[in-house]
Amino acid sequence: MSASIVRSCAFAQQMTLMTLRTCATSVYHVSKRNYDQYRMKYLREMYKRRLEVGPEKERRRSEWINWNYDSEIFAFGKRLGEEFNETTIKQAFIHSSYVEKERAKRAELGLNLKDLTFDLEDNSELAEKGADLISNYVKVYLRNMYPYFFEEGICAIHNYLVSESMLSHIAKHIGCGDLILSEDFPVLPSTLSQTFKAVVGAVLKDRGQEKAETFVRDFVLPQLISKDINELWEVVNPMGLLTAVLALIGKGPPEPRLLWKSGANTIMALYWVGIYSDKQLVAKSPGETVTIAEEMAAREALKKLMKTEDSRSPLILGRMADNLKLDYKKVNMSAAEVLKNYYSQLKKQNTASA
Amino acid sequence: MTKNLIPQDFLKNVLQNGVGRYVCQLQRITFRFCKSHGASRHMRDFIENHLLGFSQKNPGVAVYLQPRRHRAPSIVAEYLNGYREVLFLSDKQPSEICKWTEHLRTRSGVQIVKMINNIHTETPSTQGIWHPFMFTDTEWAVTKFPNKKLSSVLKTGKTATDIILDEQTEALTEGVKHCQINNK
Repeated sequence: MSASIVRSCAFAQQMTLMTLRTCATSVYHVSKRNYDQYRMKYLREMYKRRLEVGPEKERRRSEWINWNYDSEIFAFGKRLGEEFNETTIKQAFIHSSYVEKERAKRAELGLNLKDLTFDLEDNSELAEKGADLISNYVKVYLRNMYPYFFEEGICAIHNYLVSESMLSHIAKHIGCGDLILSEDFPVLPSTLSQTFKAVVGAVLKDRGQEKAETFVRDFVLPQLISKDINELWEVVNPMGLLTAVLALIGKGPPEPRLLWKSGANTIMALYWVGIYSDKQLVAKSPGETVTIAEEMAAREALKKLMKTEDSRSPLILGRMADNLKLDYKKVNMSAAEVLKNYYSQLKKQNTASA
Repeated sequence: MTKNLIPQDFLKNVLQNGVGRYVCQLQRITFRFCKSHGASRHMRDFIENHLLGFSQKNPGVAVYLQPRRHRAPSIVAEYLNGYREVLFLSDKQPSEICKWTEHLRTRSGVQIVKMINNIHTETPSTQGIWHPFMFTDTEWAVTKFPNKKLSSVLKTGKTATDIILDEQTEALTEGVKHCQINNK
């Protein structure tokens, strides 16, 4: 030990001499005289051990030291520009599984639940109210935006918007993921979507119907942008529906006509079919066979009649929708009913003529 | 080869942000620094003088301070889409730290990659897109080719050849007249 100290002292003296000698030439430069061979071995060993142990366990965000639930809740409200009552918004993040777990924990500790005030309430009630509001408002808004679209189509868009995957996607991107108190981890999409509904319920409870509807309009309805709404509703027999609709508005039956064709009998065959009614072109569409082109043209004609063409005006959202007046009692026509009426009338005519 | 290796993506708008209302995508920011080390000197200065203003202006961002002994100062930004970015800011002036904080705040959390141009519109024109049949007569679908009527040359006014020929004949007639006058 003493020998090593002596050696190190001698080394230090040598170093000071060396530095004194060199400082005249360069003051800051310290040359590096090793190749880090031990560091290399150390890193290789650590790499090997990491492979043996496997990847790090995924942890809840709340397990880290930089986590304050109260400030996170505060930031959540401010981020969305909503002023929540703290107890309401905290309740919106409590899932029923968490409450059950807490109960079980207390029972395990031997505490009598009757003596203690157990004031944890889960978000199921808020979620129920929120879900009702989302569902109602989305339907009302769509009916007002697309007044000629059939009710089946409105329902299809509504189902797409309130689906679990869509609501969980929205919930994740407004920052619900880390705040949720639930048993499951990583948080399930069903839990996320329920939390989003509960947040809407919390807005409804704290700030009223109008604000909650604005919330839905700002976060749920913009997801329709760049989505083809006609694709969401699958029409099985477009030509049948088109016939019924044309009869309903007092026009002649549809007549498909071949407009142009190119490359017949090749793999690049192309047919354009137009649909006429009373010698007026309603719509036209291309296809790789005549039947496909005809069906597509019928779909195109339906789009035109329902006023949901690709070139329709964009949805009224954001600030432009501040003074939007919606008719809450509006009812759109049902395609099933139109078809039923048309074919029953046809039947009557046939029997009368026979 | 390199074209495929460099990550590239279309321009993205997470959750159609800003269509309804704007939501700041930075959800929390942690400033890590040492209380005594010189490298953290400016970070400490920033925390003393600028941090309060930042948190007051952006109440939607949760701010944390994390002192760590003898470690380089850094900022950790966490975004709503789950992305986490760490910036090491040793010996950086407070003004520069302010700029980096602002940079992290205004980002969407989508990783910065090479942009691919997305030729796309949400509202297509009422005329529809152009196709080879756009201005062709529908009569052609039922005509049999070769067709005499359609094969004939379309004549619309005078051609360049016609104009030159006309000019030539005019010059000739004028020349003849001139000669006749001279002869007289």
